[in-house]
Formats: sequence, C-alpha cells, structure tokens
Amino acid sequence: SEMSKDLMPGPYPRTPEERAAAAKKYNLRVEDYEPYPDDGFGYGDYPMLPNKSLHERDPWYQWDQPDVRHNWGEPMHWNFDMYIRNRVDTSPTPIPWHTMRKHFLVFLSTMLIMFGLGEIYPSYRPVGPKQYPFNDLYLERGGDPNKEPPVVTHYEI
Amino acid sequence: VSLPAELDPETYDSSPEKRRAEAERLAIRARLKRQYQLQLNNPNPPAIIEDPALVRWAYARTQNVYPTFRPTPKTSFLGAVFAIGPILFWAFVFKADRDRKEKLIKEGKYKRPFSVF
Repeated sequence: SEMSKDLMPGPYPRTPEERAAAAKKYNLRVEDYEPYPDDGFGYGDYPMLPNKSLHERDPWYQWDQPDVRHNWGEPMHWNFDMYIRNRVDTSPTPIPWHTMRKHFLVFLSTMLIMFGLGEIYPSYRPVGPKQYPFNDLYLERGGDPNKEPPVVTHYEI
Repeated sequence: VSLPAELDPETYDSSPEKRRAEAERLAIRARLKRQYQLQLNNPNPPAIIEDPALVRWAYARTQNVYPTFRPTPKTSFLGAVFAIGPILFWAFVFKADRDRKEKLIKEGKYKRPFSVF
C-alpha cells in the first residue's frame, strides 16, 4: 500500500536495535515487544500478544472501533479474526477449565462404555415368535375358504 | 482460558515498575488516540482513515509469510503430516476400497446398489 517499507512487518529482528525499531513500529514498549519465536513459521517480527479474546476487553471503555473493541494504531493479535466476539471466547469460567474437561470426559467415557457394553451384551425380557390368530391367518393369507384350515395351537396344556 | 481476576497474580501486583509500565502504555495509547481524533474531527476529513495496525496485520498474515518462512525440521515435518499425509492416506484408502470391490466383482459376489434389475 502507500505505507513505506519500514512501517510494514519484516523479518525476525536479530539485534537489539532492530528490536527497538520493531517495537516502535508496532506502537509497543520495547519491554512489551516480544516477537514469535524464530521457528521459520512465517511470523517474521510480528509481536506475540497475550491470547485473550475480545470478550475480555472492557465493554464500557470508549474504543475507537467499539464492535471489535480496538483502538486506532493498537497492534492486533495474529489471530484477531478468531478472537472477535462472535467466535472464540477466552473469558474466565466459573469452574477451572481442567476440572470441566475432566468431568466432561468422565461422563462421556462412562456413557460410551456403558452403551458399548450394551451393544456387545444385550439384555432384554425373553421373547418368542409372534402368534397370529385365526389359524395363523389362514384366510387372510389366501387360504381356500371351502377347505378346512389346518388347526394351529400355540399353547400346551 | 484466562484466570478470573481474583486468582490472577497480575492483578495483585502494583509495584512501582508495574505502575511506570502502565503509565508508559497509557502515554502511547493517548498519543494514538490523539492522532486518530485529529483525523476524525478534521473539517476536511480524508476519504478514509486507514489504520496502520490493520494494514500491518493484513500484510503480516498474507504477504509476509513467504519471505519469512524457512524450512526447518519442525516446519518440514508439519508440512509432510498435514499436506502430504492426507493425500497419501486417501489415495491408499480409495485404492484399497476399489481393489476390494474389483475382487468381489470378479468373484461374482458383489451386489450392485441401486440396480434397476
């Protein structure tokens, strides 16, 4: 765009002077500026901000852009579009996250194991073959009405 | 997720260094606010007030990835797993499925689904 090359993101800063220049470029304090580790992933010198979603930002402060709770010139998180208020929410939960996860996994695994066992070893009341009346539905099955139907008894005394 | 304010040790830390850091951050924020408000309340406002932070964010995510990418063991491993892995996996799955079907057809045991006969 129209901005000069030194205002745009660049490669990973190696010397402290490059770090200071990058911090100034991103409108951060030199102590606050922490680039992503240089693992070759393509981050360059972009600052690593805390992974907090926009739900946690003060809703009552007069932001320049109130819907995304962002001020003009403030460095945006790399995953800014993930942390908007329609998407991922990292606000503190009433119960710690690992407790919730543990309870959920215990419940889910119990239910899955019980359903699995129920499929392998089904258990139901004893059933027998279905018994039809009228001599096993002789006439309905197209039996000759003039002939004597075979007698079918479903019981033994 | 983040900790609630009562459990986060950062909320209880109000040393002079922290206060000075907060003051410096406030100074930066005030300077940026002033710049923005000057542009906003300008009698001849520009057509669009572009946000350099937004431009930098978009540039970093789109055009700055390729120049700063470097093939390291970690990136090559991840690239192989996520890019080449699924292709090979699905090629193998489809080939195996087709071979099984072909064997059944040759033996005459395959029941055609949706057959009109």
